[in-house]
Amino acid sequence: MNDLYLIYKNMTRKPLRLFLTCFAIFIAFLIFGAVTSLKTALNSSVELSADNRLVVFNRINFTQSLPISYFQKVAAVEGVKDVTHLNWFGGYYQEQSRQIVSLAVDPESYLRVYEEIVIPEEQKQAWFNNRQGALVGEKLAQIYGWKVGDRIPISSNIFTHKDGGYTWEFVVSGIFKGDSEQYDTRQMLFHYKYFMETQTFGNDWIGWMALTTDDPSLNEKVAKTIDDSFANSQSETDTSTEKSFNKAFIEQIGNIGLIIFSVVFTAFFTILIVVGNTMALAIRERTGEIAVLKTLGFSSARIFRMVLSESLLIAFIGGLSGLAAAWLLVEGVKTFLARFLPNLILDGDIALQALLFMLLLGIITGLLPAFNALRLNIVSAFNRQP
Amino acid sequence: MGSLIAQIISVTLMNLGSLRRRLWMSLAMVLASAVVVAILLAFLAMAKGFEETMRGAGSSQIAILMREGSSTELNSVILQDQVNLITESAGVARDANGPLVSPELYVIVDGIKRSSGTEANIPLRGLNETGMAMRTNMRLTEGRMFVPGTNEMIVGEGVLREFSGFDIGSEVRFGKNLWKVVGVFSTGGNIFESELWADIKTIQSHYNRGSSYQSIRLQLDNDGGLASVKQTIAREPRLNLDAQTEREYFASQGKQLQYIATFGWVISAVMALGALAGALNTMYTSVADRAKEIATLRALGFSNFSAFCGTIAEAMVLAVAGGLLGSLAAYLFFDGLNTSTLGGSFTQVVFSFEMSPDLFLQGAILALVIGFVSGFFPAWRAARMPVIVAFRHAA
Amino acid sequence: MSEDVLFQLNGVGKSFVKGKEKISIFDDLNMSIERGDFVAIMGPSGSGKTTLLNMLGGVDQPTSGEIWFDGTRIDSLSESALTRWRAQNIGFIFQFYNLMPMLNAQRNVELPLLLTKLSKAQRRKNVETALALVGLSDRAKHMSSEMSGGQQQRVAIARAIVSDPKLILCDEPTGDLDRATADEILEMLQLLNRDHGKTIVMVTHDPAAAKYAKLTLHLDKGKFVQREIVA
Repeated sequence: MNDLYLIYKNMTRKPLRLFLTCFAIFIAFLIFGAVTSLKTALNSSVELSADNRLVVFNRINFTQSLPISYFQKVAAVEGVKDVTHLNWFGGYYQEQSRQIVSLAVDPESYLRVYEEIVIPEEQKQAWFNNRQGALVGEKLAQIYGWKVGDRIPISSNIFTHKDGGYTWEFVVSGIFKGDSEQYDTRQMLFHYKYFMETQTFGNDWIGWMALTTDDPSLNEKVAKTIDDSFANSQSETDTSTEKSFNKAFIEQIGNIGLIIFSVVFTAFFTILIVVGNTMALAIRERTGEIAVLKTLGFSSARIFRMVLSESLLIAFIGGLSGLAAAWLLVEGVKTFLARFLPNLILDGDIALQALLFMLLLGIITGLLPAFNALRLNIVSAFNRQP
Repeated sequence: MGSLIAQIISVTLMNLGSLRRRLWMSLAMVLASAVVVAILLAFLAMAKGFEETMRGAGSSQIAILMREGSSTELNSVILQDQVNLITESAGVARDANGPLVSPELYVIVDGIKRSSGTEANIPLRGLNETGMAMRTNMRLTEGRMFVPGTNEMIVGEGVLREFSGFDIGSEVRFGKNLWKVVGVFSTGGNIFESELWADIKTIQSHYNRGSSYQSIRLQLDNDGGLASVKQTIAREPRLNLDAQTEREYFASQGKQLQYIATFGWVISAVMALGALAGALNTMYTSVADRAKEIATLRALGFSNFSAFCGTIAEAMVLAVAGGLLGSLAAYLFFDGLNTSTLGGSFTQVVFSFEMSPDLFLQGAILALVIGFVSGFFPAWRAARMPVIVAFRHAA
Repeated sequence: MSEDVLFQLNGVGKSFVKGKEKISIFDDLNMSIERGDFVAIMGPSGSGKTTLLNMLGGVDQPTSGEIWFDGTRIDSLSESALTRWRAQNIGFIFQFYNLMPMLNAQRNVELPLLLTKLSKAQRRKNVETALALVGLSDRAKHMSSEMSGGQQQRVAIARAIVSDPKLILCDEPTGDLDRATADEILEMLQLLNRDHGKTIVMVTHDPAAAKYAKLTLHLDKGKFVQREIVA
C-alpha cells in the first residue's frame, strides 16, 4: 500500500458517483474537442493563406466578373511578382450533390502564384500541352477513383456548353499534392482558353485575379496602385490580401457562428462548475477521515497532495477520455464533411487547450478542499463526530 | 389511504426544508437543469426564427423557374426569348394587364455588416411592376417606391437592421453606379426583407446583363398550375428550365440552416446527458446526506413510497427552478436577437431568434424530465433504505 | 525527572476566549505518567478530560506551562514537528473507531506504517502480528462495514500498536460498545499493558472501564480531585 493506493481507494469509494462525475467531464470535453475543431476548421483557410498573395475582385462583389484586359495591366504594376486569373466553373460530377471546386485558370501563371501545388514535372508539361487537360487534386482523385489519362465529364451549374448541355469533358493530365497536410486538394484546374471557347456567356472576361508581391511589405502599395488604376472605369476593383478576403468570407457566416460557439462554451463551463462542485463536496464529506489521518501523523502537506492528486486524476480521466472520443469523432466525420470542412482536425493546439482546462478543473476543485484539509484543526474536526 | 398523501406532503416539505443545508449541491442541480434548458431553447429559438423567415417567403401559388441544374438564382441564366415562350404557357394566371410573369435579375453587392464592420453579400434584385404586384405581402413602411428607369432602390427592413449605410435618403455606391435609397419595405419578416429592390432595366444596363435574367416568377392559375408549366417546358426544347413552387424553393434553401439546427439539437442532447450526470450525482448525494433522516422516518412508520415521492419532488422542484432560470436566461439573451448568415443563394439571410410560448413549454417539459430522471434512481435508493441505518451511530 | 517518567505536565494551563469571556479549562495542572503505566482519566462532562487527552496526543496545545515527553518538550513544537512526533510516538484509539471505510482491515492497520520507512515485507509482518494480537487474523480482508463494533475497535487497536508507539491514547474506547464487548476490549488493553509493556492513557466516564487501569485519576473542573491505585 502507498499513497497512490489511498488516492485510488478514496476515488473509487462511491463508484457510481465517480462514474457520473467522469461521465459529465467526458461529455464536456467531447463537446469542447469537437466544437473547437469545427471552429478551427472554419477559420483554417485564413491561416493557410500566403502572406504575399493578394486577390483582385470586382468592387461590386466577388461574384461579379472583370475584363481580361486587366490581367496584363496588373502584371505590369511594380511590385507584382506573378499574377494569374481564375474563373469559377460551378462544377459537379454526374449528380448535382457531388459538387467540385473547379476553376478555369491560366495554367503556367497559376502554378507560379500557387506554389503550394506539388506536381511531377512530366505531368505538368502534359497539362500545359493538352488544351482539354485538367489537373486534379489528390484527394479529389481518390474520392472518384480518377487516374491520369482518364476522361471525366464535369457539369456546370452555371454555364452552358456551346454544343448544348452543361457537361464538359476533360482529360486528367496530372494529379497534384499540397506541400502541407492541410492544403486542400479537393479541387480541379483546367485551361481558361478551353473554357472560353466552349461556353456561351460572352468572351474575354475573368472571375478574379490572384497575384504575389515581391515582398509582403509591398502589399498595401500594390493593392492601392491596382485599385487606383481602375478607378472610375467600367469595372472598379477591390484588392486585398488573400488572408483578409478569406477572413471576410468566413465572417459572412456571421455572428450566428459566434452565438453558437458562445452558447456551447458557456455550457461547457457550466458543466465544469456543476461537476467541480460535486468533486469539492465529495472531499469535504471526508473531513472526519482527514482529521483521523492527521491525528495518526500524516503531514498536512502529504494530505494536501493526496487530495489534489485525486481531483486532478478525476479531471484527467474524464477529460482525456472525452478528448479521445472527440478525436475519434472528428476522424470519423472528417471524410464525410470533407466537402464543407476540408481542414477538420483535432490538432495539438486544441488538445493543449483541453489539457489546460483539465488541469484547471482539477486544481480548482481540489485546491479548496485541499486547502481546508491543510488548515483543518483536528480538535474541531473531532467535535463533528456524533 | 388519505394518510399516504399526508405522509408524502410532510416528507416533501421536510426535504425542501433541508435544502438550505445542502445549498451548494442544490445550486449545482439548479444550474445543471438551467444549462440544458437554456441551450435547447437557444437552438430552438434560432431554428424557429429562421424557419419563420423562410416559410413566410414561399407561396405555393407562385412558381419559380431557373436554368436547369442551377440550384440557386445566383447561378441561373435566362434569356428574353425564354421569358417570351413561358409567358404563353398554360398554367400561368392572368389579370387585366396580361400574364402574371416576372422575369427577375439578381446581382450580389457588398454591404457593411453592423455587427462586425465587414463586407457581406446582399442581393440586389431587379424586378418589374408585375413582379412587385405578385408580392402581395409587400408594403412600404417608409418613403416611396422607386421610379423605373432611375437609380433608385428600396431596402428590406432586415437589410436596414443588419447593415449600415442603407438609411432612407442615403446614397450607396455599387461599383461605378450611385444608388439612392428612397423607401423601406417589409414583407412580413420573410427572406425578401434581406434584399434590395430596384428597377430591372436599370440593373440590366448598369451591370452589362443585356436582356438576360436569372429567374422567372409566375403566378399559377388554379387549373393545371405547376403541372401545365412543366409540360410546356418538357415540350419546348428551348426551355431548358427547372420549375418549382416558391415554397419548395425556399424549403430547399433553408436546408443549410437546418443543418445548424440539427447540430444544435445534437449538441444539446449530448450536453444534456452531461448535465444529467451532474444532476443525478447531486440527488444521490442528497439521499446519502439524508440517509439517517429517511431511515428514521421509515422507523417511525412512514411508508417507503413517501420516501420515494419526497425525493422525486425535491429533484423536480430543483429542476424546475433551473428550467425557469434557463428559460429566463434564454429569453433575455436570445429573444429578438437579430442576426444574419450566409444563406443557400450565397447571400445574407437576415432573421431574428424567436422565443415563442411553445418553446417555453418545451423548456418546461425538458426541466420536468430532467427532474424526474435525476430524481427517480436516487428516490429508488431512498425507498429501499434499510431502517437499520437509523440506529447506526456513525454513517 | 525520573527515568521512568514518560509524560510530565508542569503547571499546564488551557483557556480560550469565547466572545468577550475568557474560559479557563485548567490553570495549573501537574501530572506525570510513568512508563508501563495504564492510567484511566475520569470525570464528568466538561471536566476537561478530553482537552487533556488532546494535549497529551499533541493535537491541542496548552496556553501555559510545559509538557515533557520522554525528555523532549512538546508544548512548543511546530505543527509539522508535532505531526511527526505523533506518528513516531502515539497510537490512537477513538470512541467511534474511525477506520477508513474504503480500506479493508489489513490496510487500515497498515495505514500508520506509511509514515515509517519500513520495507514492504516488514510492514506486512507487523500488520500480521498486530492483527494476530487482537485476534482478527481471519478478518484481514474484511471491510469495516462487514464487521461488528467490537471487531472494528479491535482493528483500531491493531492500528494503534502496529508502529510500536511509546504511548497509546484511548478516547472512550468502549463508549459505543455493549458491556460484554467492552470487557473484551478492555481486557485486550490490559493485556497489551501487562504482557507487552505498553503505556496506556484512557479517558472514560465509565467506572467499570476504569477498573481495568492500574491508576485512575479523577478530574473535575480542571483539577485532579482523586487518585485511585488498583491493587
